[in-house]
Amino acid sequence: MPFTTSIHTGPIREALILDLRAFLSAEKDAVYRPSQPVATVHGITALQYALEKQNRRPIVVVEKPLLANGQISDMPVVCNLTASRALVAKALGINDHRRAAAIYAKRTGSPIAPTILPAGTAPVQEIVIEGADVDLTALPVVTQHSGDPGPYLTAAHATTYDPDTGVDNTAIQRCWVKSKRRMTYYPYPASHNNRNMRKFWAKGEDCPVVFWIGHHPAVLMGTQAKLGYPESHWSACGGLIGEPLRVVPSRTFGDKIMVPADAEIVIEGTVPREVFEADGPFGEYTGYLGPQVAAPVCDVTCITMRKNAIYHDYGSGLTDMLVPDNMAMEGKVYSLAKSVAPSLQNVYVPAQGRRFHAYMQFAKAGPGEVRDALTAALAYRRLKLAIAVDEDIDLFDDSEMFFALATRVQWSRDSFTIDGLSGSLLDPSTPMGAKTLSKMAIDATTPLPPSPGAPSPVPPRSSVPEAARAAAEKILDGVLTDGWPTL
Amino acid sequence: MKSKIETIAAGASWEKTGNTSWVQCDPCKSWFPVGPSLLARQEVKLHCPHCHREFVAADSARVIKAG
Repeated sequence: MPFTTSIHTGPIREALILDLRAFLSAEKDAVYRPSQPVATVHGITALQYALEKQNRRPIVVVEKPLLANGQISDMPVVCNLTASRALVAKALGINDHRRAAAIYAKRTGSPIAPTILPAGTAPVQEIVIEGADVDLTALPVVTQHSGDPGPYLTAAHATTYDPDTGVDNTAIQRCWVKSKRRMTYYPYPASHNNRNMRKFWAKGEDCPVVFWIGHHPAVLMGTQAKLGYPESHWSACGGLIGEPLRVVPSRTFGDKIMVPADAEIVIEGTVPREVFEADGPFGEYTGYLGPQVAAPVCDVTCITMRKNAIYHDYGSGLTDMLVPDNMAMEGKVYSLAKSVAPSLQNVYVPAQGRRFHAYMQFAKAGPGEVRDALTAALAYRRLKLAIAVDEDIDLFDDSEMFFALATRVQWSRDSFTIDGLSGSLLDPSTPMGAKTLSKMAIDATTPLPPSPGAPSPVPPRSSVPEAARAAAEKILDGVLTDGWPTL
Repeated sequence: MKSKIETIAAGASWEKTGNTSWVQCDPCKSWFPVGPSLLARQEVKLHCPHCHREFVAADSARVIKAG
């Protein structure tokens, strides 16, 4: 079994094949299956919002997706697959989601090359739809938010390759299904897929691309690794799952672009050179409606899928989509900062900060180390705030974080801003016309003791003796609290 | 250009002015946000997300342009 050597990790799964349906089966107690039809237009996403408001995070399998044309789709929709950090960590064989950053960094930094299956032998190629039979509108694609112009693929993992090296690249990138065989495809301008596309276009060629949908969350996490360019997501994913990822040559592009053999659905096509159409507005991870943009398009050549395929939708801007990417970010920020600060213990990218905030924990940092680490973290594109705290602060408890900010920071001494760094221009606070952002770091750690064994030159935190605390909890154990006032 | 364009001028660096441009669809009168690069392109038509009409910015009812 992989990853049994660390106290924080266990086996990823018991099944022989790592795929979505095996995960759903293994986690059946975490799955909610509404008995009634749920509309693909706003209904499925509204269900996710309602669950989030209740702070409940089951996987949702909509077995009767009600399409815009009034028909019930034969293809179920799974959403909220990754809304729970605990469940995502479990999918990775990590017992405690709060320790994921270092483990994710270590595993994705130890790549394992994929296993290539013979063409046509993979489950994802059990059904092949080509040419005039291709019909994207037959899929239960979800229209998520008010103001979205139509149905979007939100869990489409776009895979392209660098035409110079042949190295694959994968990223989740949205596609608006506009007709049976055409959809917009928006590779964010700073993305590696965009760089690959531009390289093909510069050669006067259309860009080959495949979009694969639905897989085990561990594979989804592995293919979201934040890599350099060009580096293989197939290999990073192998490192994360501890074994080679099974891939197979795509129908249209052969071994130029592989696809995960055990995915649910694959959409293959080309991005014609310098063809743009309006795309959006679209409800983004920021929680705001991103503006309409000019996006490339994809002309679809082929759809393959498994028998009884399951369609996967990420709730954009909900924890369903934030959790997996933020956990991958934690691995990246941990790697960046750890390289300059050995005292770094942990990193947390909280969903309530969208993808803009990182909390970092240190143990007995040397002089300058915390600021070095904070500066390294801010270099990561999406971050705009990094906060450093000590080991006694629980990164995952905002009341603890605010306690540290309130009592351990003198702002002119312990905070600094750096202007002109790259960042997400989807941030609604970005000034008009800006191409870079202003970022901030806060050192909320306490000073070190003047000598080994001496107390830190700050007052100790108030507390009660452990025995008294345990006795108090025993008094309250079993006491009914209905009707007691809350904060 | 028949549409009425209102431009939000950038102020001093400490003044918040927002960063989002808006277009109003002439027939359905609904507003939707549009990125600056799309607004600047003449060859790509805007798409009203509400009535699905495609049109160039010049044929919109109103444009509020950031910057």
